[in-house]
Order: sequence, then C-alpha cells, then structure tokens
Amino acid sequence: MTAGVDTALGPVVAPAQPRGLRVFLRRYARRGDGMLGAVILAVFALLAIAPDLFVGPLETVVTATGQRLAPPTDGFPLGTDHVGRDVLNLTVHGARVSMIIGLLATVVTVVIGAVVGVVSGFVGGRVDGVLMRITDFFLVLPTFVLALILTPIIRDLVGSGSREILGIRMTLIVIVVVIGVTSWSSTARIIRGQTLSLRERAFVDRARVIGAGSGHIMVTHILPNVLNLIVANAVLVFAGAVLTETTLSFVGLGDPFQPSWGQLLEAARRAGAPGLGAWWDFLPPGLCIVLVVFAFTLVGAALDDLLNPRRRARA
Amino acid sequence: MRGGYVVRRLGVAMATILAIVLFNFVLFRLMPGSPERILFRGIPNVSEERLDAARARWGLDDPILPIVIDDAGIRFEAENQFFKYLVATAQGDLGFSFVARGQEVANVLAQRLWPTLLLFGLGEAIAIVVGLVLGAYSGWRRGGLVDFFGNGASLFLYATPYFLLGMVLVLLGAAVGLPTFGMLTAGASYPDVWARLTDLFAHLLLPVATVALGLIGQYAIVMRSSIVETISEDYVTTARAMGLREGRILGAHAVPNALLPTVSLIAINLGYVIAGAVTVEVVFNWPGLGTLTVEALGSRDYPVLQGVFLLLSITVVLANLLADLVYGLLDPRVRT
Amino acid sequence: MRSSIRARLAAIAATVGLILAGLAPTVAPTLAQTEPLVIRAGTDQDLQVLNPFNSILVVDFEVFTLNYDLLVNFGPDLEPVPGFAETWDVSDDGLTWTFKIREGMLWSDGEPATSEDARYTFQLALDADALSQESEDGYYLGAGYLEPYLLNAGLTAVSAPDPETLVVETAFPNTLLLQAYMPILPKHIWSSYTIDDIANYSDTPFLNEPPVVGTGPYQAVEWQAGEFIRFARNPNYWGDEGAAEEVIILTFESSDTMVQALTTGQVDYVRGVQPAQFDALANEPDIETVEGISNGYSEIAFNTKGNTEGYGGSTSALTDPAFRDALAWAVDQERLVEVTLGGYGVPGDSIVPPFHTRWYSPPENPRSFDIAEANRRLDAAGYERGGDGIRLDAEGRPITLRVTWPDSEAEHETDAQFLQEWWGELGIGVDAYQTEEGKLLEDLVPPVSGGPANFDIELWGWVGDPDPTSLLNVLRTEEIGSFSDSFWSNARYDELFLEQRAEADEDARFEMIKEMQEIAYEEAPYIIMYYDAELHAYRTDKFGGWRNQPTEGGTPLFGYGSGGYNTLTDLNAEPTPGPTDPTSPTAGPTPAPSGSGSGDGGGDSTPLILGIVGLVVVAAGALLLMRRRSAAAEDE
Repeated sequence: MTAGVDTALGPVVAPAQPRGLRVFLRRYARRGDGMLGAVILAVFALLAIAPDLFVGPLETVVTATGQRLAPPTDGFPLGTDHVGRDVLNLTVHGARVSMIIGLLATVVTVVIGAVVGVVSGFVGGRVDGVLMRITDFFLVLPTFVLALILTPIIRDLVGSGSREILGIRMTLIVIVVVIGVTSWSSTARIIRGQTLSLRERAFVDRARVIGAGSGHIMVTHILPNVLNLIVANAVLVFAGAVLTETTLSFVGLGDPFQPSWGQLLEAARRAGAPGLGAWWDFLPPGLCIVLVVFAFTLVGAALDDLLNPRRRARA
Repeated sequence: MRGGYVVRRLGVAMATILAIVLFNFVLFRLMPGSPERILFRGIPNVSEERLDAARARWGLDDPILPIVIDDAGIRFEAENQFFKYLVATAQGDLGFSFVARGQEVANVLAQRLWPTLLLFGLGEAIAIVVGLVLGAYSGWRRGGLVDFFGNGASLFLYATPYFLLGMVLVLLGAAVGLPTFGMLTAGASYPDVWARLTDLFAHLLLPVATVALGLIGQYAIVMRSSIVETISEDYVTTARAMGLREGRILGAHAVPNALLPTVSLIAINLGYVIAGAVTVEVVFNWPGLGTLTVEALGSRDYPVLQGVFLLLSITVVLANLLADLVYGLLDPRVRT
Repeated sequence: MRSSIRARLAAIAATVGLILAGLAPTVAPTLAQTEPLVIRAGTDQDLQVLNPFNSILVVDFEVFTLNYDLLVNFGPDLEPVPGFAETWDVSDDGLTWTFKIREGMLWSDGEPATSEDARYTFQLALDADALSQESEDGYYLGAGYLEPYLLNAGLTAVSAPDPETLVVETAFPNTLLLQAYMPILPKHIWSSYTIDDIANYSDTPFLNEPPVVGTGPYQAVEWQAGEFIRFARNPNYWGDEGAAEEVIILTFESSDTMVQALTTGQVDYVRGVQPAQFDALANEPDIETVEGISNGYSEIAFNTKGNTEGYGGSTSALTDPAFRDALAWAVDQERLVEVTLGGYGVPGDSIVPPFHTRWYSPPENPRSFDIAEANRRLDAAGYERGGDGIRLDAEGRPITLRVTWPDSEAEHETDAQFLQEWWGELGIGVDAYQTEEGKLLEDLVPPVSGGPANFDIELWGWVGDPDPTSLLNVLRTEEIGSFSDSFWSNARYDELFLEQRAEADEDARFEMIKEMQEIAYEEAPYIIMYYDAELHAYRTDKFGGWRNQPTEGGTPLFGYGSGGYNTLTDLNAEPTPGPTDPTSPTAGPTPAPSGSGSGDGGGDSTPLILGIVGLVVVAAGALLLMRRRSAAAEDE
C-alpha cells in the first residue's frame, strides 16, 4: 500500500521467449497444487464449453419431467429442484453461465486495470497522480455494496429485456460490467508497479532514443512484459468475479432465464430447500462454486510464485 | 517527519471521504424509478397533487445542481438538492427513510448498526485469533500435518461464499435445535439480564460461526504466507544459525514481523467482509445493516441505501487510515 | 516440543468438540416460567404500517383488525356479526341504517367508546370524498384502500343522536355497509390530528405508533418496523377472549427460516409457505397445514391501449380483443397451477374467484388449451406470419410482446417461461424479464396521470374482500389512472358495476355480476392464470381452538378480522400428568405453560453459557501455557 514498495520491486522479466514458455510449463507441472487446480478447471471448462454434450439442452420449467424436489434417483442422479428440473442438468449448464460471466468480467476488469496501470506507470507525473487517486478511491470503496447499487442503475440505463450479447442476456451483461467497473483497482496498482520498474529499463530507453512514441512503447515494449503479471492476476480476478456474481445473484439480481450457480442457490433458498433438508438442490451448485474458486486460487498462487518477478527473484 | 506522515495520511483520508460524499450524490440521482413514485408503492391511485406534495416534502422539486441550464439560459439556484445534501450530510442528517414509516435514516442506521457490529466484531475476533494462530503454525511448520490440512481447509473456506456456509449451518443448526433466525426471541420478556444474554448468545452462535469460518481461511492464508516469507529473511536464518530456540524465534521475530502485513490486510479486507455481512445477515434474518441494505434495495429506499453506502465507505476509509497509522508507527521505513 | 504442541492442540480440539456436542441439544431460548402465553405468527410481508389508512398488504389488515373493531365484524363464515355495533336495523326503503353501539364499552385506555367515535370515523371518509370532489386528482385517506368500502356503499350522511345510536344514510339500498372494512377509531385520540396528517398528505403524518388505543382484542404495544409488532391483551375488550396473553406478528425475509421457526416451535403460525415446504410440513408431528382457497387471482394483464397516443405498448395488436382472445387459447392454466403453484391452486377463468360461491360464474363458452385453435383465430383476425414465422401486426411489424412481472412476485418467472414457449408456437415473440416493483409501478401509470404506460403485458395479482365489489372495480373505466392497470374500457361493464352496487336483491345482483364476468372473459383485458391457494401452517401442541374462516376453504388467521385469535385455547392450561402430554419429548415435570420456543422441549441454557465460558478459559489457559512454556524454554 505504500509508495516504497513499488520501487522495491525486484528485477527483471526478459521479453517472453518460446523457450521460456517450455521452462515455465515444466516448472508449473512440478507444482502439485497448481496442477490440481488446473485439472479441476479443465473439467469445468469442458462442461462450460459443451454442456449439451453431457446433459442435453438446458431444462426449463417447460421441459422439466421430474417430481418436485425429489431426492436423487436413477433418472436424476442429483435429484430435482422445486419445479422438477434435473439438478445435474442445471448445475452443468450453470457452469457455462457462471464461467462465461466470470470470464467476461475478468476481461473487463483486467483491461481497465491494465490500461490504467500501464498508462499511469509509464506516463507518470500528473496523469499518474490523478489515475492513482481514482484507483485508491475505488480500492477503499466497499465494492460489493457499490455493485449492489450500480446493477439496477445500469440495468435501467441499458433497458431491460431479453436482448443477448454473446449468448448472454442483457441482465447478466450488466453484472459483467458492474463487476468490471468495481474491481479493476488492485489490478491497476499491481500493473503500475511493474510498469514503473520497466520504464527505467534499457530497452525502453533505446526505443525512446530511436524516436518511438509513448503509445508505441507501451504497446510493444511494456505490455508484453507485464503480460505475465496480468495473467497471474487475471486468475485471481476470475475467482473473485465468480464469487461476486454468485453473491449478487443470491440477493436476487440474477436472471432466472439463464441460471448461474448463484441463481440456482437463490432459487433453492427461496423454495426453502435448506430447511427441508433438500441438500441436493443447493449443495451441487454450491460445491461447484467452492471447487472453481478453490481451483483458481491454487492456480493463481502457483502462477504468482512462478511469474511474479518479485517472488521469482527470491525463490 | 512523523507528523508529516500522519498529516498526509489524514489529508488523503479526508479527501477520500469528500469524494465518497460527492460520488454518493451523483450515484443516487441516477437511480431508476422516481423516488416520489416509490413513496407510494402499492398505491395505484396516486394523484399528481399528492406526488407534488411528496416532492416538495422530500425536497425533490428543487433543481439538482446549483447551476441550472434551460431555455432561459444559465442561472444560479441557491435552493438546490446538491447544496442541501452537502449541508445536511455535514450535520449528520441523512434524511428520512421512504418506507420505514418516515424515520430518520440516521436513526434507522443506528438501530441496525450495533447488531452488525456485535455479529462481525465477534466473528472477526474469533477469526483473527484462530486464523492467525493456525496460519502462524502452518507457516512455521510448513509441510507438516497441520499445515497440510489447515491450509487445505483454509483454501476451501476461503473459496466458500458466506451464505453457502450459512445455509449449511442452518441445515445443521436446525437439526440440533439451535435458533436459526433473528437476534432475540421476538417480543420475549426476560426475567433478568442473564436470561436475555443467554437468548442472545444462542441466537449468535450460528451466524458468528459462519462469519468466523468464512474469515479464518483468509487470515490463516495471509498469515501463513507472511510467516513463510519472514522466516526466509536473513535475520531469521541468522537467529536459527545462532541456535536460538524455535519457539523464541517464532514468538520474538517471525510473528511480529508477519503480523504487520496481515493486520493491514485485515483492514483493507474490511470492504470485502461487508459483502459477507449482507448475505450472512439475510440467511439468518439478522436485524443488522446487511438485511437493511437488501430490504432498502428491494423497496428502493434511496435515503437508506445512500446512508448505508456512506456509512460503510467511511468506515472502510477510517479502517484503512488506522491501518496506515499503525503500520507507520510500527515500521519506521514507511514514515519518510 | 513439536509433538507436545500438537498434542495440546488435539486436546483443545477434542474439548471443543465435546463441549459443543454436549451443548447442542440444550441450547434453546427458554423463557418458560416467566413469559406470558404468547402466540407468534410469522409472515413474509413487511410490517411497515400501523395507521390503518396506509394498509395495503394482508398483514396490514390483520394488524388493524386486532387493534380495532369494524362497525360490523366478519363472523366464522363471513356473515355480519356484532363488532363496534351490537345490533343494527335498516329502514323499509333500505336507505337508513340504525346501529346500536354496545353500552358501557371502553377503549383500551379506559375512555368510553360511543357512537360519536363511529360517527367521527365515517365522517373522515365523507370529508375525504368532499376533498376529492374539489381536487382534480382526488383525495385519498392514506393508501386509499379503506374509504371506498363506505363510498361504494353509497354513504351520504352519518349522525350520532345519542351515545348508543349511530344513524347512517345511504344513496341506494345495498348490503355493502355491513361488509365495510373500516376500523372504528377513537375520536379522543385521532381528532387532535388534521385530516391531512391522517391521510398522509402533510409533513407530519400520523403514524399511530404504539401504544395503540382501540376496542379490538389486542393492542399494539411494541413495534420494531420491519421486524415484529407485539400486541398485549386489551384489558377492556368486550368480547370472548382467546387464551393468548400476547400476540406477536413477525416478518421473515425468507420462507425457509420462517418454516424452520415453525418446526422448532419458535413461532406458532405461519402464512406464505412455499409448496415444497407445505408438502414436507404435512408430515411433521404437531403441525397442521391449511390450504385455503384464495380470494384473489394472478393475471396476465394486457396494456389494452397498446401503442395509441401516449401509451407505451409495442404493438397495436394489444388493443384487439380478438388478438387477446387468441393468446388466451394458448395458455394452459392447469399446467401453470401444477408447476408454478406446485398444485396448490385452481386454474383461473373468471375475474371473480370461486371463493365467492354466491357470485362466481364460470364462463359460458370456456376456452381450452388449444394451440391449433389459437393459431386459427390469429389467422382469422388477420395476423399473418412474416418471413421468419413471426406474426405481423396491422402495421406490418413483427409482434414481440414484452412480458414482465415485479421482483416481489418472482414466481411468475415460471409462468413467463411457459408463455414464451406457448406463444412462440403461435409465432408471437415473448421478451420476458423481471422488473423492480417500484419501477414497474411507475411504468404502469397511464398518460392521463402523466405516466408512460410503458409495458405490453404484466403478470401480477389482486386480492379481494368478502364482497366482490373491489375486484370488479379494478376493470372500470373510471379507474384508469387509479386501480386499472389494463386501461380497458367497456361501457356496459361500467354501467353494470353501478347497478350491481345499488342492488339489494341478491339474485338480481348475481345476474349483473355474471354478465360483468362474461364481458371481461370475452374481451380478455386480463387472462386469469390461477387462483393461488393460501398456504398456512400452525402448531397444534400449544394452542387449541383453531377455526378456519370461512369454515369451508378458509384459514384460522390472516383471514377477515381478528376472530381467529379469540377462539384459541391454551392446551397446557390444566396441569396434566406427564403421560397425557405426548408433545413433550422430555419426560418429567414440565411446568406449564411451556412458553419455550423450541421443539426439543426447551431446557436451561445456563450450561451453554458455562460451557462457552469454560471454553474461553481453556483456550486462554492453553495459550498462556504455550507462552509460559516458550518463555521458560528461553530462560533455560
């Protein structure tokens, strides 16, 4: 949090090389926790990419065939929900919704954070001052409460309705934007720190000497060198985004037409599943959230150890 | 030097609070649905006259900003929502709740504040003690059994949304007959303070356990990694080489040094804890700021939402300020 | 050293486990011996209102009928029974009513309750009506739900010739006066406030905060807005008293915690149970479930003004009764009841629910669920399919209807999914989404009141009174800008409304109401989806004497008036020997009344406190030990 830390950032990332990637992968493969996380994520990614392949199309109230809130049986390995939908089907499709929202929100977050961080760190001076004040401001705001308030505001601004972007309903796109807008600040801080140290490096000076413009230097020299950091950070942001989406859905800001895991939990709670002992209605989506966030944290920690220059210098 | 640091920190905090106050104003002018209409929610036959009266009563008929630009050109309006808002906020007057029978927002917040403080104060305290001890021990005995299971459990808890934990605890708590909602048995009359406390305690058990479990993971993880980092520092290695007892090294060197970043992280984390507050309180029907927020959101009670946001933001700023000051006090390097 | 710390940690963990395991069953809020006998009723509705005129929700009406008497109360089968008035009589021309007020009746604060109080209350409605005539936009007492009960009965004048006599004049003969939901208020308290304060127009609205003064059986004495209202017995109550010393009505954020509170005995009665919970509760010991017939419906409401001048509908097709009729052929009410309501409800048709056995009239030519028929009708009405299979309106634009519902009624999400499916087969697009309630209320305001009428179809519901007038009122032309959310207008319907209101002969009145139902069904400004059942449940181990109101298809509480509370008996009143009390799982002498909330039969929680204190001591001791140990080691 203190200014001293930034300049204390250790040396050195050389521009990425193919050999570096192989070395990196070999190192990563040696991390048991990182691999565990990666495997879990791979499984969920598979489910998210092609849910239909595993459980058929998303069951709606119209196509539901099961009993109401029935425990697991042959036809329904994870039981049914309060309108007779197959919980397995919903959970697998929930993976798609949750992961896509998480992914999009991560992209928004990281893009905002990276742009602010690189510009702030590279341009410096007054621009840096202003951008960092804004960043610090967002850093201290209780982001969840802000998201809670921003969601209805933005929904009203873009209009409700079932328009879709990338197959995601507008209501959920709003959540993506809200998560992005409220959670970019720590990314910006981290990227700025790295940019500051890169700015003083020889190859940047060289580029400047041969007359490259600031924008050019930022894109071709700084950005590739903070990419590692961005990736490591993005993984953690992803975990946070999934959690935030879940929580927003839980307080009723989700979309029942595209149920994410959080939305399923909310529906289960509304139907009274926990009190009825209907664990199958909320534990599957709940455990999926835990597993995914858990896996992201593992991968994030492993990547951080391997990619964060500060840590690598020490290792 | 020291004075300069404190003044600078204070200045930043003040500026941030001012920015929050401004931000709050802008944010709530953007809210969908007109407030005067929401005053009459559920009442279909609201006349224009009545709406006008309500607008006047809530000061909603004034121009929003002091500078008005319309067909007549640009002019200055002394009676405007922005000035009124600034003056009132400075006086701690947060206006009236739209739905809570016209109570002052400040009163509503005060009523709901202490249940939240109680719940989260206790939960935080337990989480800090248990989390730090667990984290310190895991980090110190890296690779040990406690580390393996403790760290695994911490990561898992960290990944679990509070309300999911809450739902599971409701499931278990209901099975053994623990109270699962509210802060006291509603409307109960107690023979003495002791009985009242007992009742409160029974109601606190599950939500506090939820909060504590939700936080322990984070704190243990942070503490663990701080310890791990600290014990690789030169002086610890030196101390080890000098043959100092392990317990002494842990207690005298590693823990105090690892505590610094951890404590500041706890302060910074406060903002995230609030997200948990909202959902834990909803799950347990706890009459605190969290349920108030969700209720106010559901009924678009802008003044209350505005008040909650202001209160929470300023709390977080102050907590950060405190962390900065403590940090500065303990670590001379940052004081320059 | 290493092993010793571990052993200590293990020991602590074991201790914690033991203490918690030992404690759990004894933890319960026990207030047994000292607490008065309390009935706790849970609801999912908010408790934000004590001034009766601000009443909107069912719970608001429950609250004010506990505090106050109506002039004439509702009996076990909704028949008129003595309330504030003991007897009544009507003149031969049916225009002058004479009510005899109970002699010697007192308000809960000890002041005499007389006909003057009733006159004052009725006059409030007349004053509001007079103000309403003056004002362009009308004048309403609070939410404006109460005074229509008197005004629809044609109230013209009221007088109190002596303390025991109230004379009421009406403009036309009718029986509505005996069904008026108007609480009789204490003049000595209310007359110190202006009508603007009472009607919530002023800056200092009268909130009627506790302690409330009334003549009802229980008076509100404590109010935690949004949490609970506590009522104490009215010491001066004139009628039969129930066993409960106090009544507490609690709000729950989620029906889940509410139902658990019931099963663990922390509340005695709940309203607003979800279908799945209802199924489960039926198998619980000591719990009785009640499926009440709803006096209301959930409807598909069309913006029947479509996109005409000033109205925000998306297509002119909405204005066409033939179009609405065709869509109604593609709504499978039975399926909606089965899925959305979990089977707890009745498929809808008429705008008067079957609850009104005297007034309900099923349609003469009922529609069935028939997609092919719906398609035929749309073809016949000239709605041709465009290139992509979507039908086009008269202007040649594809029809995609926006279907929305308030977030407070999230269950309509299921209905919307079905509509999307069924109407999709007709070539009608459905754009379904939930809208925040406040925003939706605003969208529903028509241009005559300065609103946008910005919707195509909304899914929502109405709840009625013992008399169908208020439900019939919703579709009147005069209510556009007020109660009407379909903006439908039919001259014959409006005419019949006024006629039936002034008709004292029941058979003649039925014929009129029947025709009104027919017109509304044919023109379909509303498609009635279903009459949702009222799902309630209560405990049978603490109170007896539960009585459904009405006897057929009613519920004990949250019905009409406070009669349900007055018949309750205390099951533990007689000190009975152990074996006859099968409800208590803990054998041995259980002192009555068992005020304990918990299903495990209660117990002293002192062990809990002691346990926790012990735990803290143990933990602190262990930490101290560790600290000492290391310090000692250091000293060596």
